[in-house]
Amino acid sequence: MKQDGLSLKDEGGQSGATLTYLRGGDPEAHARPLDFTLITRLFRYTRPYAVKRYFLLLLVVVRSVQLPALAWVITAVIKGPIESRDTIGLIWGVLGFVVLALSTQVVLHFRQRFALELGEAVVYDLRNELFRHLQCLPMSFFNRTKLGRIISRLNSDVNNVRIGVQEVLFVSLVQIGQMITAAACLLWYDRVLFMIVLALVPVLWTIHHYLRPMLSAAHRNVQESFSRVTATLAESVNGIRVTQAFVRQDQNAALFRDLVSNHAENHVTVARAQGTLLPLLDLNSQLFMAILLFAGGYRVLNPMIDASVGDLIGFFLMANIFFSPITNLGLQYNQALTSMAAAERVFHLLDTQPDWCDPPGAIELKSLDGRIEFREVSFEYEPRRPVLQNVSFTAEPSQTVALVGHTGSGKTTITKLIAKFYLPTSGELLIDGHDIHNLQTDALHRRIGIVPQQGYLFTGTVMDNIRFGRPDASDEEVIQALQRLDCLDVIESLAQGLETDVGERGGHLSLGERQLICFARAMLADPRILILDEATSSIDTITELRVQQALRILTRGRTSFVVAHRLSTVRRASQILVIDHGQIIERGTHDDLVSAGGVYADLHRSFKMTAAQTRRQDVVAQDSRQME
Amino acid sequence: MRHAKTPNLSTTRGHLNHTPQNWSAPSPFELTDARTSNWVLLRRLLGLGWRYRVGCIKVLAQQLTLVTAGLCILGLTGLGIDVIRHNVDPSATPPRWPLGVAPPSTWSALTVVGTITVTMVGLTLLHTSLRYWATVSASKLAQSIIVQLRTDVYDKLQRLSFCFFDTNNSSSLINRVAGDVQAVRVFVDGVLVEVIVILLSLLVYLYYMLNIHVMLTLACLATTPLLWVTAVKFSRLVKPAYVKNRQLIDRMVRIVVENTLGMDVVKGFAQEQSQIEQFRAANDVIKDKKQEIFWLITLFQPFMAMLTKVNLAVLLGYGGYLIVTDKINLGVGLFVFTGLLQRFADQVGQITNITNRIQSSLTGAGRVFEVLDAPIEIQNPPNAIRIPQARGEVRFENVSFGYDDDNSVLHDVSLKAIPGQCVAIVGPTGAGKSTLLSLIPRLYELNVGRLLIDGYDVKQWNLDDLRGNIGVVFQESFIFSHTAASNIAFGRPTATRDDIERAARLASADEFIIELPDGYDTVIGEHGCDLSGGQRQRLAIARALLLDPPILILDDPTASIDPQTEEGILQAMENAMRGRTTFVVAHRLSTLRRADMVVVLENGRISQIGTPDELITQEGYFSTIANLQQGADDACPSLVEGGAG
Repeated sequence: MKQDGLSLKDEGGQSGATLTYLRGGDPEAHARPLDFTLITRLFRYTRPYAVKRYFLLLLVVVRSVQLPALAWVITAVIKGPIESRDTIGLIWGVLGFVVLALSTQVVLHFRQRFALELGEAVVYDLRNELFRHLQCLPMSFFNRTKLGRIISRLNSDVNNVRIGVQEVLFVSLVQIGQMITAAACLLWYDRVLFMIVLALVPVLWTIHHYLRPMLSAAHRNVQESFSRVTATLAESVNGIRVTQAFVRQDQNAALFRDLVSNHAENHVTVARAQGTLLPLLDLNSQLFMAILLFAGGYRVLNPMIDASVGDLIGFFLMANIFFSPITNLGLQYNQALTSMAAAERVFHLLDTQPDWCDPPGAIELKSLDGRIEFREVSFEYEPRRPVLQNVSFTAEPSQTVALVGHTGSGKTTITKLIAKFYLPTSGELLIDGHDIHNLQTDALHRRIGIVPQQGYLFTGTVMDNIRFGRPDASDEEVIQALQRLDCLDVIESLAQGLETDVGERGGHLSLGERQLICFARAMLADPRILILDEATSSIDTITELRVQQALRILTRGRTSFVVAHRLSTVRRASQILVIDHGQIIERGTHDDLVSAGGVYADLHRSFKMTAAQTRRQDVVAQDSRQME
Repeated sequence: MRHAKTPNLSTTRGHLNHTPQNWSAPSPFELTDARTSNWVLLRRLLGLGWRYRVGCIKVLAQQLTLVTAGLCILGLTGLGIDVIRHNVDPSATPPRWPLGVAPPSTWSALTVVGTITVTMVGLTLLHTSLRYWATVSASKLAQSIIVQLRTDVYDKLQRLSFCFFDTNNSSSLINRVAGDVQAVRVFVDGVLVEVIVILLSLLVYLYYMLNIHVMLTLACLATTPLLWVTAVKFSRLVKPAYVKNRQLIDRMVRIVVENTLGMDVVKGFAQEQSQIEQFRAANDVIKDKKQEIFWLITLFQPFMAMLTKVNLAVLLGYGGYLIVTDKINLGVGLFVFTGLLQRFADQVGQITNITNRIQSSLTGAGRVFEVLDAPIEIQNPPNAIRIPQARGEVRFENVSFGYDDDNSVLHDVSLKAIPGQCVAIVGPTGAGKSTLLSLIPRLYELNVGRLLIDGYDVKQWNLDDLRGNIGVVFQESFIFSHTAASNIAFGRPTATRDDIERAARLASADEFIIELPDGYDTVIGEHGCDLSGGQRQRLAIARALLLDPPILILDDPTASIDPQTEEGILQAMENAMRGRTTFVVAHRLSTLRRADMVVVLENGRISQIGTPDELITQEGYFSTIANLQQGADDACPSLVEGGAG
């Protein structure tokens, strides 16, 4: 009778821990009251599998009758053939029992399998839908949403929804059905004894009502303290160099011991709650047995009442069927609340609308010259916190524009607007004279190439990564792209050349190599407009030269925007925009700006301090003067 | 900009991930997950159990009392039924009185049933309170083991040398403390105690059943071996499927992670559609694999359930026949057997779980003991020299070093820094610059040669004093999830707020800290306020300066900072260096030029050493990079192209 409550040990459990860790300090709602709108919406996902769904419901009904029926057969055998000492009847009775038992198991197989399949199908559809939806969301969504949250939507939340569908719904229904049938049988056997059973229901309900929340709260504390333990642990391991260099081992160990002890105490609290709840629930059915024995015995022994010993045994068996689902139903109810919370989060993500869509009749650019014009463009990520203010400039086709400025000045934002990751809050951004609003985003993106700052690579081979922007490109085309960048030798010198596995996020390669691969990726896509974020990190001087040279080849003949960190890049630009607090404060060529003696000239000097023959002592002297 | 945190996908799936093979030859520090012999592990695990024997015996006694009490309650119910039956139908078998204690014959049947009921109620209440007690003490036992194991492993981890952390991937280490210790402790309370409980309770049940009727017992339990074999077979079949499924899920999650982190690339190249297809493919595979698991489960569980039903059928048929022929009683016999068969099947089912647990305990134990057994390579010497405040003279004498025996990183390095001097180290990636600096605070143990500080070999120094005299700023500074103030006071938690602020001002960190939402009390780091790379480095410099160390190590702190922001840090570095012996790794000429001495490291050897002015005139790495950097910045682009070609 217990098999219905099977809980698959699924991916939910373990990855849950990862995610708690990822989510770090901001926990999400753990449970949510049952909500009919949510349930109907969830149920709608089973619609494509309607046949399976209805068949399942049918099986649920069959099963809720089958289990009490088994108990009934046993009782009938005891009451009939055994009481009347009829051996032939006994054999028939046993055969009937075996046949019924077999049919029960066949139904169980289908009930379980269809429920699992239905759950998986819903999860599969939800995941695909979520991922598809994610691809439509604009960059602003990804900026404000933590990665851990997105993953938990697609993994643990979807899994909780699955359990809601496959377990809560169908298992609970079977068990409720079983209880109802058992109750009906009890009533039919003996009305008075049935009343005694009924009297215990409120007691059970009260125990559940008061102790369950206590147990859930205790469980939550365990989870929270465990995520504190893992988070601290992760920090300790990752920061071990600092810890050792600063001789902090003892303090850390003491802190950790406290955390672990606290976690252990929370575990013991759970045990206390469990040790109270479960025995109390069982106490009910055990006490009931005792009461039943006495009351039943009284009734059987009283010649005035027509009751038999067989009935009494039947009553014991049936009462067992009636009581056993209760503990499980409590668990299912809790799981239902968790599933509700998960479903709500999943649907919330699915309901997140993109901030904007392409207008109807958007222009699909077939070819592009690459003339880009900003007219009084302002932009803010959050209301009233402008990142760009009244930016105006024009980039002619094939020009290279260098964007220079401090971190947070807004230079990256300019490139994001050109890539149509965001739309300007006000002002106009024209590409080949068309307002960017009216351009079909996909078509535009096909004409744009992006080289992200740290050389972002996807798991796979070098070849896969270069081909990313044009999946249909042939091997020769990939090699050609590398040749044109004059860095085929660098790639070929890798362990397996173009077939080298780049590792997670390119971890097997150096920053310089990663960048060259990103360049090749852009080269292969052959965009008219190129957006490039130079690496801030220093690459060793020799590789740096290769990167610089490839960069020069890559930008040739394309309208390029470079967020520049290297003086050599800036020097070659057709125009330099110096950005500060979201405004262009200087513009012109390198020579113009240096001779103008403004901010850029200062900046340039600081770059050149690298080259300046400043003796340390001089600086020290200067510093101490400043201090005074 | 969005600071995407790189999630460590593998944080919790320990046994699936293998330590990356960074080294061609296995390093002595590398945790290999290699199988220590199972017998050795088993003996150690048993030893662990022996250490907690008092708790174990207590739990054991409680569990056995519970089993016995449960059986008594069930038996009494059966007895009650028999009393009633015999009274109604005197031809039925008379009740079997337990232990031969029959009630006085003067009692009416109802009085007997009433007495039985009262005894049952008493036993039930006892059973319930005992269960509470047993649950709590089992949990306490488990937790006391786990707290001890976790603290031991953690403490050990803290004391292991850098070599150890270089060779072992951090998620695997985290997992050993978080997950694997659980598997180890399960051996004590989930295997040792459980096995004894199961064996003894099976014996108790068997004793009762055999007492009633030997043949019936054997007939009813005939399918038990089949039950057990099927369970073992099933778990062998389904386990690899689950492992595979987990890997597939991980792959799906990885696609999501990469897609999200690289969203600008995906959008920029208009590759949303191909990503959707890739994801769908990954999702498809999961679905298929799941289908396989579903079939296994939904065949196994009904089959097992059927076996127990067969037992019941045998009981009903054979037992019914025995009742008909007055061999056994309806209550104490048939009825109690029904209950016992269920319990018997449950316990046998447990055996499968236990075999699985033993397996995972052994794996876990192997991994935990590996950490506990790892040698602490760097320790305080006996009679260590205590020097609270060093002068700051550092001397390398023919130092050679390798992380493992085959690949040496430093060869025969000799140099000397007098107190207050600034030594800049320069050289190509992988030349051994960071390694050289890490030797000074004895973060690695050098193999050949001597490293003297204030004239004493670092191996003679008291380790805490040594490291307390040295301030270190790493290439990428790890900031803990504490307040800004406690991060700065990391090396000396007792520091006053004044000290902290002074250090922060010196490191130019004060300016941004006071602008944080709660100033110095703002929680920063991974689970707090995000800091920029430059801010993190300035904080790290403040952290080093708080110790007011005579020796300062700056391992290329500006490596990942953009040049526009770098100025602020250079200023902080300048302030920091004043009056201290400083070792600084640098690429940028500006920093190199300020040093008193420049050491050029190439392939682990010092290829040039001298003042910047001397070196610039010599042919070599230094003058090459100086020219290149000046060339890139200044007048002669032709040089750059020439250099690249």
